[in-house]
Amino acid sequence: MTQADRSQPDDSPLVRIRGLTTVLNGKTIFDALDMDIPRGRVTAIMGPSGTGKTTLLKHITGQMRADAGEILVGGRNVAGLSRDQLYKLREGIGYLFQNSALLTDFDVFENVAFPLRQHTRLPEELIRNLVLLKLQAVGLRGAARLMPNELSGGMARRVALARAIVFDPGLILYDEPFVGLDPVALNQVLKLIRTLNQTLGITSVLVAHELEAVKQVADHVFLIANGKVVAQGSPEAIAADGSPWTRQFFGGAADGPVPFQYPAGDYAQALGFPGVTK
Amino acid sequence: MTARKPQRRNMVGQVLAQIGSCGLFLLTLLAAVPRSMRHFRETTRQLWFVGAMSLTIIMTCGLFVGMVLMLQLYHVLSIFGGTSASGMVVALAVYRELGPVVTALLFAGRAGTSITAEIGLMRATDQIDAMEMMAVDPVAYVATPRFLAGLIAMPLLCCVFCAMAVFGGHLVGVTWLGIDNGTFWSNMTAVVDVRTDIVNGVLLKSLAFGAVVSLIAVFQGFTTPPTSEGVAYATTRTVVASSIAILALDFVLTAFLM
Repeated sequence: MTQADRSQPDDSPLVRIRGLTTVLNGKTIFDALDMDIPRGRVTAIMGPSGTGKTTLLKHITGQMRADAGEILVGGRNVAGLSRDQLYKLREGIGYLFQNSALLTDFDVFENVAFPLRQHTRLPEELIRNLVLLKLQAVGLRGAARLMPNELSGGMARRVALARAIVFDPGLILYDEPFVGLDPVALNQVLKLIRTLNQTLGITSVLVAHELEAVKQVADHVFLIANGKVVAQGSPEAIAADGSPWTRQFFGGAADGPVPFQYPAGDYAQALGFPGVTK
Repeated sequence: MTARKPQRRNMVGQVLAQIGSCGLFLLTLLAAVPRSMRHFRETTRQLWFVGAMSLTIIMTCGLFVGMVLMLQLYHVLSIFGGTSASGMVVALAVYRELGPVVTALLFAGRAGTSITAEIGLMRATDQIDAMEMMAVDPVAYVATPRFLAGLIAMPLLCCVFCAMAVFGGHLVGVTWLGIDNGTFWSNMTAVVDVRTDIVNGVLLKSLAFGAVVSLIAVFQGFTTPPTSEGVAYATTRTVVASSIAILALDFVLTAFLM
């Protein structure tokens, strides 16, 4: 992932996934999944809990290997990269973890400065300015000297967001970026994601459940369930799609193709009423 | 709903598998040494945590080990009228065995457990994965600096332990029990050999123990399941495995170095 990848004017997808198959603990997470993530746009991946949205992000960054299929990021097959090549690729990818994953030994400032200190030899003054710039963008410049254990969940996510964008990467993967944010912070984060996309052309992929927030920020939505893409399109189109999948997911009904219950044995039998059947 | 029963596994196979994985992890650590030089500040920071922060316990224990040893020896040797040799015996016992072994056991309890718990918690809270995602090699940034710090700190701590033990022996023997000061030092310097007792005893053994304890601590931290129970088990395993390894290795080294 390089600046060149970001500025390429072509419409080819930045991330191309073909035939992705993943089986974890005997459960099929992805079943020959195909997906193209467009370059320079904001793409949302939605779906019921446990469908493998985070796993998909881990496949894209090479943190997890798939059982079959290929993932091309910027034209390079992630599975075929050496450790050094993978690290080079990751230098151009920002990743917002679901649980923030801040380094607990360092304060907020040092957490955001960490990637800069590890990969550049920038003068201290410049590092300071870059970090303060990013912290100002997420509204936490005043919290620069707080330790991670002094932050609320929402603040920790905003620090993690500042760290993910400190390099202005070509691709940013946000895993549940809106969780724990109050309405003001949510609005600012939405604006930030949009601004990064519009001004720097950064490709953004976000995993989220909040349809209203996704509608405001995403250009394209993938709905995945049962290991496949069951619907895709613009947020408006997908919300009005009318298929059983989208109707149930966005309507929040318990009955439908998306199972609410984790696979289990007979309920009556589990309660000790073996004679009772459905 | 029934509680999950603990699985019975082949203990011997499990231990052998752990030793094999630990050996492979050592190779990974050593291969990462050149890359970890980029994070030299992290190594010095860890040296402070595992070395300097262990000084209090090492000095206190060293002092009391020397004092107790002198007390015991004085009473036994006085039966044969050989109390003048007690300083020498304290020194030999401390330099050859007690110094390296007790320092290593204390180091495993004080620094080894903290290394395992720290790395285990980093894994449980996705900090290791976050480093991977920021293209920072966690083996070079987290594991190797802690391993090197343990390797450097152990011989130094052992020297401090031995010095404090001899001081404790002197305190009890000369100041309290009335052994002649000149006899105490002259007997000691006449018998203690630099190569056999100091280099082979203090330095070589403590270097080997430092490597083993640090390796076990870092390995357990890196391979712990990312749960609170997993971290607790890993910390216990560090102490148990380190203690067994120290005593077994001590026997092997003593047999070869004597």
